[in-house]
Amino acid sequence: MRSFSILLMSFCFLAQASAQDLALNWKPEPEFGGFYEAFLNHLYEQEGLKTQVLAGGAGQPVTQMVAAKKVKFGIAAADEVILARSQGAKVVAIFAVYQDDPQGFMVHPARGFKSLKDVFQSEGTVALQKGLPYTLWLEKHYAPLKAKWVPYTGGISSFIQDQKFSQQCFITSEPIAARREKLETQTFLISESGFNPYLAVVIAHEDTLKEEASMVSKFLKATREGWKRYLHDPSKTNAQMQKLNSSLDLATFEEAAKVQKPFIETRDTQKNGLGTMKKERWATLYQQLIELKLAKPGQDVTQFFK
Amino acid sequence: MRGVQLIYPLIPLVLITSVTEYASRKGVIPTFLLPAPSQVFLVLKDDFGSFRDAFLQTLFASSLGLGLSMVVGLGFALLLSFSNLVRKMFYPYAIFFQTVPIIAIAPLLVIWLGYGLPTVVASAFIVSVFPVIANSVLGLLGTDPLLLNLFKMLDASPLQTLFRLRVPAALPQILGGFKIAAGLAVIGAIVGEFISGSGLGGLVDTARNQQRVDRVFAAVLLAAFLGILFFSFISFLNSLVLGQLKEK
Repeated sequence: MRSFSILLMSFCFLAQASAQDLALNWKPEPEFGGFYEAFLNHLYEQEGLKTQVLAGGAGQPVTQMVAAKKVKFGIAAADEVILARSQGAKVVAIFAVYQDDPQGFMVHPARGFKSLKDVFQSEGTVALQKGLPYTLWLEKHYAPLKAKWVPYTGGISSFIQDQKFSQQCFITSEPIAARREKLETQTFLISESGFNPYLAVVIAHEDTLKEEASMVSKFLKATREGWKRYLHDPSKTNAQMQKLNSSLDLATFEEAAKVQKPFIETRDTQKNGLGTMKKERWATLYQQLIELKLAKPGQDVTQFFK
Repeated sequence: MRGVQLIYPLIPLVLITSVTEYASRKGVIPTFLLPAPSQVFLVLKDDFGSFRDAFLQTLFASSLGLGLSMVVGLGFALLLSFSNLVRKMFYPYAIFFQTVPIIAIAPLLVIWLGYGLPTVVASAFIVSVFPVIANSVLGLLGTDPLLLNLFKMLDASPLQTLFRLRVPAALPQILGGFKIAAGLAVIGAIVGEFISGSGLGGLVDTARNQQRVDRVFAAVLLAAFLGILFFSFISFLNSLVLGQLKEK
């Protein structure tokens, strides 16, 4: 029995990442530009950290990995942080890349829509990923819906084929892909509906913040510097990232980096530095998630972020 | 006696459930990684309506997929066994079905076949048809040469040999292929549903998005139950057909 528990303990020890790695929830793209800038140009190293940026994929359970201490830092959305904490996971947000949600709905301009409301209250098809907090929010906010909802399957082929087709998008991705196909698009941001979580948020475990406070502040310093440099001139890091993710061409990297800038650099960040977060924003989001019955009431909003 | 037999598989079930329940309640395993079995049953009870509807959708789609696999797979195997040339030409392509990464082509199925049932059925079919073909071909070609000679001596036509000798002799293998296909059809249907958003697959996808591990497990439990249901049905068919064959 004793040898078994020793074996189990050593396994757990091995399974826990000792380095200060950052797990992404997607592939190398401009949305993570500042992290790659810091990683590839040794800013983390200069702070004495052994941080590596680990690319992810669809369905990667980054929040659970951080909560289970398999990795020190991870990327999540603000709503994911609140959902995870409602399930008892002790994750905390420490840096928000996107101050405004860059997700929206891409439509054909010929339809003459004026707002997001029109997208949902007109005939036609809307492709979106069901069950996500923002989907539930839109469903509630724009009821009764007239558009037919179909699952989002990635890509833009249905959009190209069907003039009455609208789809969820990242402002840095699908509209650019459509432009490549010589297709004009119009995008309405989800934040227009009042649902505006911080996105590409760095999360860490509560224990890490307590036990390794100085490491965390070094990580944040390097991260902030990485983003500052990337926003100033993304070309070198874009070229490096493109080698790691050749599914996108360099021109797309460049364009996405340009498009995302106003979502990262805002009045708040000019005042309080890149990555900053506000209590009111978290409180609003928390209320919205309670309203959607996705989060339990009675949690302390200040515990969500640091 | 049969009742007593049923106890054996229940022993590990009770054991595993008790250990997980205990570990979960004592906080050894955090619930966001592995929910307590009681929590999973509670979710099933509280949201019975959605789980039942999803179960029925998956049951319907995977039954159609499995049925299609059985009919098309067996038909294809008959063609392959009929002529050496046909087999040499087409058998390598059957292997395509075994290796196709369904998760990669499922989004394409949506574009080709549209959202909803056709995509799910096609996904279940693609995943489950190969074992039917492979097992059936194996069975159809493995006929006892002495019996084949006997049929030849009696001047039986190729069709007579096929349906009076090869097919009956291959039934155990054919049914074995059906059994493997049964479980795979459920998996295929669920993958299709991930993309097309209905049934148990859709439920799993939504639950995953909302970090509801308890709901994921509840749906997985129902999927497993569906697999057992199919497996039992094919086993029943097996005993029925082979029993009759023995009598003959």
